[in-house]
Amino acid sequence: MTTRGWITTAIAVVGVGLMVVSYLFWTTPACNTTVACSNPRVPFAAGIFVLGVLIAFSAGAFYSVYKGGK
Amino acid sequence: MTTETMTTKRELPQGIGRLSTGWIAFFAAMVAVTVVGLYAYFQQLGNGLIVTGLRDLGTGGGATWGLYVAYYVYFIGVSFAGITVAALIRIFKIEKLEPVARMGELLTVVSLILGALAILADLEHPWRAIVNLFEFGRPQSPFFGTFSMVIAGYLFASLVYLYVTSRRDAARLALQPSRFQGLYRFLAAGYEDTPEQRRIDRRATFWLAIAILPLLVIAHSTVGFVFGLQVGRPGWFGSLQAPGFVVLAGVSGIGNLIMLAAIVRWATKTEKRITVDAFAWLAKLLLGLLLVYLYFTAVEILTITYQASAAEQVLSDALLKGTYAWIFWGAIVSLVAAAVLLTWKALTRRWTIAAAVAAGILVNIGAVAKRYLIVVPSQTHGQLLPYPIGSYTPNWVEFAVVFGLFSLGAIMIGVFMKVFPIVPLEEAEQ
Amino acid sequence: MAKYAMAINLDRCQGCRACMEACKIENNTPQAVFWMYVFRTETGEFPDTKMSFMPRPCQHCNNPPCVKVCPVGARFRRGDGIVLTDADRCIGCRYCEVACPYGVNYYNWRTPTEAFAAYDVDFTDPEVEAVTGGVIPPYKNPDLDRPQGDEQRMTAGSAHSVGVMEKCTFCVHRVEKGLEPACAEVCPVHAIHFGDVEDPEGPLSTYLRERAGFQLLEELGTDPSVYYVGGGPPTAETREIERPLTEVQR
Repeated sequence: MTTRGWITTAIAVVGVGLMVVSYLFWTTPACNTTVACSNPRVPFAAGIFVLGVLIAFSAGAFYSVYKGGK
Repeated sequence: MTTETMTTKRELPQGIGRLSTGWIAFFAAMVAVTVVGLYAYFQQLGNGLIVTGLRDLGTGGGATWGLYVAYYVYFIGVSFAGITVAALIRIFKIEKLEPVARMGELLTVVSLILGALAILADLEHPWRAIVNLFEFGRPQSPFFGTFSMVIAGYLFASLVYLYVTSRRDAARLALQPSRFQGLYRFLAAGYEDTPEQRRIDRRATFWLAIAILPLLVIAHSTVGFVFGLQVGRPGWFGSLQAPGFVVLAGVSGIGNLIMLAAIVRWATKTEKRITVDAFAWLAKLLLGLLLVYLYFTAVEILTITYQASAAEQVLSDALLKGTYAWIFWGAIVSLVAAAVLLTWKALTRRWTIAAAVAAGILVNIGAVAKRYLIVVPSQTHGQLLPYPIGSYTPNWVEFAVVFGLFSLGAIMIGVFMKVFPIVPLEEAEQ
Repeated sequence: MAKYAMAINLDRCQGCRACMEACKIENNTPQAVFWMYVFRTETGEFPDTKMSFMPRPCQHCNNPPCVKVCPVGARFRRGDGIVLTDADRCIGCRYCEVACPYGVNYYNWRTPTEAFAAYDVDFTDPEVEAVTGGVIPPYKNPDLDRPQGDEQRMTAGSAHSVGVMEKCTFCVHRVEKGLEPACAEVCPVHAIHFGDVEDPEGPLSTYLRERAGFQLLEELGTDPSVYYVGGGPPTAETREIERPLTEVQR
């Protein structure tokens, strides 16, 4: 695979990874019976999820814009 | 092509950078409507949502979600078209639709922004809402999908798509001196029109399209889940809500794209590029989705009338023969009329742009009405406890804000048309 | 940990609405807001009608739809069963209001001072002052402005600030002090019982064990912490005998 391909894949993996990890482990647990169910386990977990979405899709822009490499 | 080749020597194509009197009049009118909308919005921001027609449901005898939510759902629905059409072109290589791809992507971006603004208009503390959603957002709430997948993911993905597919045109326009040359150079970001670069772009857009299509289904489904998961409101709970939202999103979106394509074709004098074939293709896509939606509607009517619970019956009476009957049957008539018109055109194989546009207008009237009917009647008439029947009439503030949003969208598209070619430039020009 | 619940005896309730009044005074709720509401309904055809009353506080569900849909966790259920709204976190999207099958949520459509000021009484009038002793209602219950419970969040209703949701709190500020909710305390016929339902020998558990009862809209799976004793749930025939707020047309 080319450098372009590797970096693009890396960006996409980081983005999707952030999405998965923040969704499953950092956001508010999917329960509704205690106070803990109303607070995210990591603050701004939802923001991190959105950031993951943005990073994942910016891979497409990178793939097109990237210059150089072999 | 010859005309364009001659003009490109001195002027940018498609009237970019040149303001005609017609455009200035349009722009001024849209700004005026937007200012009225802003005035209404600031009334609301200063005094609270008491200035709207919204009230508490239950003892309040009103609807707490109204026109804003209906239009939020509608705008999100319209965003369906652009990116779908663009993705279909890349995946199935439908070249006839190539000229409408960029305006479709633009329509997606603009309508998503309008959808986000419509829901922010519904909130008294928009800034707190933005901060808290990012800080405390809960995946368990159907709204999480809406703000993260739709507003952020879908909007950003569409922007990336729009950008990747626009770079070549930006690079070409950057070659000639103009007032936007710097902008084009920036957008082109060192683009070189080589076969290798084209291959890369094709691959990038193809994979983006593949990634966006599931996102599209998820995004429109989450809007359906906002309603479809609620057991406490008669008329909302049901597994048909999510697919119904996706399909009606397609109907309203394609309808809008047809209207926009007709306007752009006339305004930029690109009759040779945007052919009747393109409209025929969009109209056929519209017909297919419309028939599926009419089927869903028939299923829905049967379900709420056959042997429904008492609370559901109150609601279906209000819909079919009560307070909301004129909206409901108005929606059905316009959707069926559009379906009949398109079927007739499909059978005779004589497509006209006028027919496609007429269908586009009809389905959008139907779509707005259906969105309103999903949001409001279940609150005023869908009570499980013996509360009195409520009523809700949107007032001038809500209408002003919604019209303001529409004109804001028109401004965005109008300005884009004056800065960048909304119809992709022709291949063999040099 | 205790688990709070309420038992409402419909055979006892006489529809005096003293609980609604007590709630308004305790929680300083604005006009048109009824954290506690009493349905006065009738069934049957004239002259064979039957009248019945049903108090409706927030049901404090054990499986609360409002908590599920809240996008920011402003609406939450405490371990002791009380469902509360964090006024500082609420973004006012009103999703809880449409998700609730009981219609117990109220949105602050405007700043409450405006609503409070709508009494037709001039409190500076010396004759009025002689009665009120110079107190200008609604005075504000200072407890409402304090963060409540272990979680220390602004859940007691506080300023009823514009643009956020509010609803019955089971008078969390009173419960924290070991008191009953205002409605339970004021009921002249002792129709409203409040207590710990997980204490098997406690008065509430004993009371419920001895009587047949039901939960409102049980079939929705919300599992309310409010149990009704005696009477029966409203049926499709049940209609309210008054139109509470706005003159609405069918």
